[in-house]
Amino acid sequence: MTTRHSSRLAEALETCRPVPPAKPNILKTLLAVQFALGHVPTSGIPQIAQVLGVTDAQVAGVLSYYSDLRTQPPGRHLIRVCMGESCTANHGGRVFRAIQEHVRIAVKDTTPEGRFTVEQMSCAGNCAVSPTVMIDEDLCGRVTPPLVSSLLEPYK
Amino acid sequence: MTRETIRCVPCQLVNLPPSFMTRLYLSNDTSSRAAGAGRLADAWSERPEIQLIRTSSRGAFFLEPMVERDTPDGREAWFNVVPDDLPRIVGGVGGTPVAGIPFLQQQTRFTFANFGITEPLALDEYQTRGGLKGLTAAQGLSPEAIVEELRISRLRGRGGAAFPVWKKWQVAQRTGSEQKYVVANADEGDAGTYCDRMIMEGDPFRLIEGMMICARAIGATRGHIYCRYEYPAAARAMRFAIQKAREADLLDCDDYPFDLEVVTGAGSYVCGEETALLESLEGRRGVVLAKPPYPAESGLYGKPTIVSNVLTFATIPNILANGGAWHASLGTEGSRGTMALQLGGRVKQPGLVEIPFGLTLRRVLDQFGGGMASGSRFKAVQVGGPLGSLFPESQLDIPICYDAFAEAGAILGHGGIVVYDDETNMVELARHFMAFTADESCGKCTPCRVGSVRGREILERIQAGGGTAESLDLLKDLGETMKATSLCALGGRAPYPVLTAIEHFPGEFRGRLKV
Repeated sequence: MTTRHSSRLAEALETCRPVPPAKPNILKTLLAVQFALGHVPTSGIPQIAQVLGVTDAQVAGVLSYYSDLRTQPPGRHLIRVCMGESCTANHGGRVFRAIQEHVRIAVKDTTPEGRFTVEQMSCAGNCAVSPTVMIDEDLCGRVTPPLVSSLLEPYK
Repeated sequence: MTRETIRCVPCQLVNLPPSFMTRLYLSNDTSSRAAGAGRLADAWSERPEIQLIRTSSRGAFFLEPMVERDTPDGREAWFNVVPDDLPRIVGGVGGTPVAGIPFLQQQTRFTFANFGITEPLALDEYQTRGGLKGLTAAQGLSPEAIVEELRISRLRGRGGAAFPVWKKWQVAQRTGSEQKYVVANADEGDAGTYCDRMIMEGDPFRLIEGMMICARAIGATRGHIYCRYEYPAAARAMRFAIQKAREADLLDCDDYPFDLEVVTGAGSYVCGEETALLESLEGRRGVVLAKPPYPAESGLYGKPTIVSNVLTFATIPNILANGGAWHASLGTEGSRGTMALQLGGRVKQPGLVEIPFGLTLRRVLDQFGGGMASGSRFKAVQVGGPLGSLFPESQLDIPICYDAFAEAGAILGHGGIVVYDDETNMVELARHFMAFTADESCGKCTPCRVGSVRGREILERIQAGGGTAESLDLLKDLGETMKATSLCALGGRAPYPVLTAIEHFPGEFRGRLKV
């Protein structure tokens, strides 16, 4: 963890410090850390545990349980391809393959220049206009393989 | 001010006489935006001749982006609109009366009556259209009388388990405690479902009203909306709505304030199960707990807690406003009221359908789904999310109600209906289902944690051409074990889509086996 990360972690944790009688909430804290830093560095676990008054193992357990908590910084843009049933039925698998061919990385990897990270998601709740691709907070519906390159183009 | 200068300024900032501007309605629902509504709003943001009102969506997503305007005979709509259509719309050319759209006209909208009409965060519009009448009625009743009204309504939970709502409420009401909680389960994880998202984004005060009625009935002073991480717009809308309700002094339960907050999850399907959800709400791993004790007796922080689905809470205001008997008069013997069905997959007309229980699956697919998407042929339909059974063509005459589905060994779940076409590979689909459970199992019980991984491996072996007839027998045996011994519905239901795929499409599996 860099010094910059370390001080931002401390800052984020300050807002999560439990004030009795409120009980420490590990998940809320980790989400706040991820919001501030973009990810939750595993090297920050002891510091988080100390602020919350819980064990390192409890923090590590929650961190490893939830798939939306990430321990590595993502690329500048996060591409999430929906693998839910409606997207699957509408051949979203073909869209996923087209994206992989375009960015040439495996799931959960980041392109070498740090532009994109690719992930799969289990449902975006956008089933009526599927297949769905989510880029950062932008949800795109009715995506077909030929649309992939123009879809990704604006995200530099 | 010249015409040219007007063009440079967003229309909202210019005081044009109202007769100059045409008021247009465009949905701000996430799926409408994903279909292109956001592009329209951007393209038209500086057009002085229009006033764009962002509403909820009518749920006819196959027509989105859809733009509407007022006429003396009600609203007219333009479908699948692109930015260049604006002159046509402003000129009133080529619109269709909304009341004449068969997909909408044939529905019975109660819970979704406001959709496409109101601005989601306009509390005055919500009230003008009958909002808060249920809460007002509840405030004139004793807690026991509220529960009695729900008993008469015969409302069953809409999240999947279909448990009678009044029974849960009665337990929580009768359990003595200085602190009780109301929790809305907005962890809408079943792929193929989106009605909770629509409610939170499109009619958030309805959810708040339903939760407040519950709070009054059981004596709760705190509420949480557990919203999945994938729904940022829904969480934002709910937070705004709570703020507005608080400012309007609506969040008062008798004499003390009802404290309501939105909490986000972090991508765990099993957190839709109520005990796992409460674990997650307390900040821990979302692991399923053995029941009893039930949350209605001992839930969040060990206190009596009602956990209900968003759609369930959103159904309650109308029941209190119109009476339990009104609700009980709709639907079938064991399934009263209306159900929000969510059509997806390869149908021509995907979207939200609210109708009384009882119509057959075939009628729903034909009448509302409009048949198959162009160029594709029907293969199977899955009802009830990733744990729901597959139905082939020959079994489509099943009525949509809890009893008929239970009798068929299937589930209605949260109302998701996904249609697969003949290009779907059933072995791959079965593997997809098992892999999903293996990924999402919380790990608490062995049948689900280990069974789902072994199940996925067997299917991978079959897919790679290494399976034998014994592999299929083993898969069936494993499935029966998981059904009988898993702690919650994730492990207990996971075998259904896989085993129904094998049952209805045996040739596809046998064709992959080693001879």
